[in-house]
Amino acid sequence: MHRTALIAAALSAVMLASAAHAAELRVTLHDVRVQTGHINVALVDGSAGWDGKAAPVQARQLAPSGDTAQVVFEDLPAGDYAVMVTHDENGNGQFDSNVLGMPVEGYGFSNNPNVMRKPTFDEARFALPAAGAAIDVTLR
Amino acid sequence: MDRRRFLRSLLSGATTAVIGATALRSFPALAGDPVRFADGLRDAPWLAGWRSVTSETLGPATVQVEGRLPAGFGGTLYRNGPAWTERNGFRYEHWFDGDGMVHGWRFNGDGTLTHHARMVATPKFTREQKAGRFLYMSAGTTVPDMQPVRNNDDANTANTSVTMINGRLFALCEAGSAFELDPDQLSTIGPVTWRPDLATVPFSAHPLVDRDGSVWNFGSIALMGGAGIMIWHIGADGALRSASVLDTPIFGYQHAFAMTDRHLVFVLLPFDYGDTGGTFFERMRFAPQRACRIAVVPKDAPDTAQWFEADFAAIYHFGDAYERNGEIVLRAVRHDDIDRAHSVMREAVAGDAAHAVNSPSTVLQLRLDLRSGGARWEDTGFGGIEFPLFDARTAGDRGARLYAPTKEGGATAPYFNAVASFDLERGRRRAWRYGQDVLAEEHVFVPRPGSRDADDGWVVGTLLDAKTQRSGIAVLDARRIEDGPLAQAWLPYTVPLGFHGCFAQRA
Repeated sequence: MHRTALIAAALSAVMLASAAHAAELRVTLHDVRVQTGHINVALVDGSAGWDGKAAPVQARQLAPSGDTAQVVFEDLPAGDYAVMVTHDENGNGQFDSNVLGMPVEGYGFSNNPNVMRKPTFDEARFALPAAGAAIDVTLR
Repeated sequence: MDRRRFLRSLLSGATTAVIGATALRSFPALAGDPVRFADGLRDAPWLAGWRSVTSETLGPATVQVEGRLPAGFGGTLYRNGPAWTERNGFRYEHWFDGDGMVHGWRFNGDGTLTHHARMVATPKFTREQKAGRFLYMSAGTTVPDMQPVRNNDDANTANTSVTMINGRLFALCEAGSAFELDPDQLSTIGPVTWRPDLATVPFSAHPLVDRDGSVWNFGSIALMGGAGIMIWHIGADGALRSASVLDTPIFGYQHAFAMTDRHLVFVLLPFDYGDTGGTFFERMRFAPQRACRIAVVPKDAPDTAQWFEADFAAIYHFGDAYERNGEIVLRAVRHDDIDRAHSVMREAVAGDAAHAVNSPSTVLQLRLDLRSGGARWEDTGFGGIEFPLFDARTAGDRGARLYAPTKEGGATAPYFNAVASFDLERGRRRAWRYGQDVLAEEHVFVPRPGSRDADDGWVVGTLLDAKTQRSGIAVLDARRIEDGPLAQAWLPYTVPLGFHGCFAQRA
C-alpha cells in the first residue's frame, strides 16, 4: 500500500509537471493545393528563429493528403511563437522561387498576415498559453 | 528535410525585397456598384460593351456571313478582353480588372461563321468562381477582404491579348505568365513555364513576330517591384531561345514595345508608386515632369542598350518602327490626358454614360538618332485612334501603314465607330464609318495567301451594334478601307468589348 501510494504521488508530480511545462500546439493547414512533395512546418519562438539565425524550436515534415492537414507540436513551454509553412511541391528538397525571388511553391504563416512579402516575426507571432492552443494556417 | 536550407531560402533577401515592394494591404473598398451600372445600361445600350458576363462560356452560335468573303480568306480571329467584372454585389472600377474571356470567331469556309468564347481558367478565376466573390488583387480596384496571393500568377487575369506560336494559343496579360489554351475548345491547359527558373515572370500581352517567325516579348520587372526588363525570345517552334534581363535606369512602366529588323525599342514611362496601399493603378501615378527613357536593344545582345531621353508621353501601344540612315523612327499612340490614360473609359465602366469620354489620343513618331543619341517626338497630325496594327511584311527601312479603329462623324457612344488606314509618310487617311450606333474594336491585318507585297490583304475587326444589341465582325480590303466591309456577320447577342486579337489563317 505504502509503495503504491508513493508511485501514485510520483505520477501526480510528473503529471503536474507536464501540465505546467508541456503545452500542445495543434496547427491545421488549409488550401494544400497539390498532393505531391512534402509540407514543412517550422515553429520558432523569436526573431532569431524567424530570421534563420537560430534553429526552430521544433519542425515537422509531412506528406500531403487532401487539402487540409494537421500537425501537433508537444511539450512546449507557454510563450510567444510563430509558425512558418512551406510546401516543397516537387520534392526537390528546396522551397523554389523564380529568378526574381518570387515563390512558386506553397507557403503560409501563423496569423495569415495579408502581406505580399515575408511577414515579420511580430506579424506572425501568437501567444501559446499553458493550456495549449489550436491555430489555422492557410497556404497560398 | 534540410531544415536550415528551407529556412534560409524562404528568408532570402531577394524574396523579401522583391515581393515586399508590391505590398498588398487592406484598403477601404471603393466598390463599383452593379445596380448603378444596370441603371446606366437601360438608358445607354452601348454600355453593353462593359457588361459583365455571368457564364463561363458564350455560344457557340453559327450565323450566315453577309456579303462575300474574298477567295483565300479563311481562319479564326481569336480575341481576348476583360469580361467577368461583377461578383457578389461588387463591380470592378477599372477596365483592366475583369477576368479574361477568349473568343474564337471562326469562318467555317461554307458561308457561315461560328462564334464561341470561354473564360480563361486562371487560378484567380477558378477560386473566385468557387468562392462566389472576388478574392484577389486586381489591376485597379481594391476588393473587400482581399486574400493573400502566392505570387503574381495567383492574381493573373489573362485578359489582354492572345497570340499563336506554332499552332499553340496563349492568353496574355502584362503582369504574369502566358496561359496556354486549346485552340479549338478554348479550354485552359495552364500557365506556361518557358524554363523552370522563369516561372511566373511576366510575359507581356504584346509580343512581336520577327521575319524568321520567332517571337520577341518582354516582361516588366517594375510590375514586380523591381527595376529591369525581361526580354524573351521564343523560336518559331515555340521553344525558348533566350531570356535576358536588361537593367533600366528608372522605375518605368511599359505596356508594349516596337521593333525594327535589328533592334527592340522600349519606351519607359516614369511613374511614382505611392505607399498608400491598394492596387497597382491605385498606387501608380505617371510622372509627366520627368523624361521617358528609351532603350534601343540590339537583338543579338538583348541585355545591352543604347539609352535615349525624350519628353514624357503616356503610351500603351506602338505601331511599327523602321530604321534608315542611322535613325530609328517608331510610331506610337499617345494618350493626351494623363488622368484618362490612367483609367481608360472609367465612366463607362461605372455605368455613367452621361460623363463617359474616350481618352483623346495623338499619333506620334519618335525619331532616335543612333549616332548623336538625340531623340524627339513628332506630331503626325493624326489622332483619335487606339490599338494600331500593321502588316509586318513592310520593308524594314520604311514606315508601315497603320490600321486602327477611329472616330468618324457622329456617334451615340463616346468610342470608336470607324476603322481607318493611315499612311503617315503621305499624310493620307482612309476611313470606313460603321455608323452612329456601332462600336468598333481593333482590326487585325491578314495577308492575302500567296501575296508578298505589304498591305496586300484584309483587315478583320469586331463590332458592337448598340441599337440591335448584336456583336459582329467585318472583313475589309486593307487597300480599300473606305469601300467598307466585303463581308460581315452578326451574332444574336453582344459580347463585352475586348482589347487585342490575332488571326489564325486556315492552311
